[in-house]
Amino acid sequence: MTEPNPQNPRDERTVIGVYHLTREYGDRQALEDVSFTIANGEFVFMVGPSGAGKSTLLRMIYMDEYPTSGQVVVGPFVSTRMKRRDIPFLRRRVGIVFQDYKLLDDRTVFDNVAICMRITGASPFTIKRRVATLLNDVGLHHKQRQMPQSLSGGEQQRVAIARALVNHPSILLADEPTGNLDPDSAEDILRLLFKINSAGTAVLMATHDHSFVKNFGQRILHLRDGKVLEDHRTGLVGNMGDRLEAVRLERERQRRGDHEIRRRRADELSTRKSD
Amino acid sequence: MLRRIFYIIDEALLTVKRHKGLTSISIVIMSLSLLMLAVFLLATDNVLKLVSEAQNEMKMYVYLDDGVSQTQAQDLYQKILQEPEVSEVQFVSKDEAMEDFRQQLGDDSDLLGTLRANPLPNSFLVTPREESKTRDAMVSLAERIQPLPGVEEVRYGREFLDRFAKVLKALYFVNGVVGFIVILSALFIISNAVRLTVISRRKTIEILKLVGATNGYILAPFIIEGAFQAGVAAVLSLGLLWCVAVLSRNVIPDITFFSTQKAAVYLLTCVVIGSIGSGLALRRMLKMR
Repeated sequence: MTEPNPQNPRDERTVIGVYHLTREYGDRQALEDVSFTIANGEFVFMVGPSGAGKSTLLRMIYMDEYPTSGQVVVGPFVSTRMKRRDIPFLRRRVGIVFQDYKLLDDRTVFDNVAICMRITGASPFTIKRRVATLLNDVGLHHKQRQMPQSLSGGEQQRVAIARALVNHPSILLADEPTGNLDPDSAEDILRLLFKINSAGTAVLMATHDHSFVKNFGQRILHLRDGKVLEDHRTGLVGNMGDRLEAVRLERERQRRGDHEIRRRRADELSTRKSD
Repeated sequence: MLRRIFYIIDEALLTVKRHKGLTSISIVIMSLSLLMLAVFLLATDNVLKLVSEAQNEMKMYVYLDDGVSQTQAQDLYQKILQEPEVSEVQFVSKDEAMEDFRQQLGDDSDLLGTLRANPLPNSFLVTPREESKTRDAMVSLAERIQPLPGVEEVRYGREFLDRFAKVLKALYFVNGVVGFIVILSALFIISNAVRLTVISRRKTIEILKLVGATNGYILAPFIIEGAFQAGVAAVLSLGLLWCVAVLSRNVIPDITFFSTQKAAVYLLTCVVIGSIGSGLALRRMLKMR
């Protein structure tokens, strides 16, 4: 975790710097004096109920909107000095993943990923190699000729992630990437994001589901009513399998309100810890 | 650069292939509105042809006094030929005039037998230059020839020319107004047809922006697509127009179709209108960040 450093916004270790950011829509204040930085290779969960300003904050980072006051710095791009023609080049350094995947449904999985490289003028050979590698990484190499509609939600999200990574971004922004998915697929996506992060790409994932992410030992940014409530690192519980299992059980508990399951989870964890 | 062109063509073709229904609807709408334009242009073309044919017929007869001698006539011939508007002067003798008259009368030429002497005068048939075949030029030429010695009368159908000029003026005015309306509505319909395509692909544009495509990359395939649609629509409208022209030969036998050159200019114009139309329809979309 790095301290916000407005004196040196181009700090090499900083991928994203948000400094005293305020965003107003008319009378409503969506974000109020938000400051934080994300270092190279860091993994950050942004947690908060819907309406807390998570999506707004992400939009400020990929500069779909500008702050009312304050500053956002992404690599060499500074929100207060941004020109409209620079925006495409910012977007190539920031991979974005959405809850609704936003795939182009008039072309194949391969072309959905490839188009992001074609618009940069990469050679067909480079494109073919890179897209194949990425689809392999997300486990969809065998479905590259299919249309997105024929894939499951989880698979579509994996295509979207491959697309976001294709131009080697320094950070991946994910806005509720698991919001439309069943628990199993959500887990797969989370695992994939961890894997991407361990390969060196910073990840900022927004989610409203605190219980889902609290056991992974990652930095968590709590957002509520447009303010940063808390910015802390959670403790790790068990190994990755346990954590995901805990998530699964937590979800089940929430769904059914089943006390039995809660007890079983507690038992399981305590027996494993004592081993 | 080459890669960029390939990308643009690929994208345009992909859209046409994937959205066949929308593309065909848009082409049909365009071709009908272009047909309107084409019918108007063909009508104008034919009317102008008629007008120029009528103007080609324009001639002037200079009738000579009876007592004019050979030398005087020779003198007059030279003077008329020197007028700047005149291209050709031909002497028509009394006898030749009578012979023409007899031929015109045909079966009724017997009537001329009752005449004791030839009442027709000697005359000059004056053909004006191409650019002087207008009412005003004819009037001023006649005013200069009339006072020459030995000239009895100058005739060039002044009453007809006056009426012709008035009709032409009205015709040009109506043509201009109708043309303006037709072109405007064609542009309107085409840019709306393109907007239909653009709206249906709003999501695509949004996504391309999110993954970092520059406006050029987003705009270009649409422009190519618009040009393509307008081109196909123009060919269709020409085909329809040809059918209309063939059918209306029953009513107007003299109707002629566009020359190859004019058809080519028409096609090119439609393609340009199509690209401009798509550019206009897209402008608003590109203002999004």
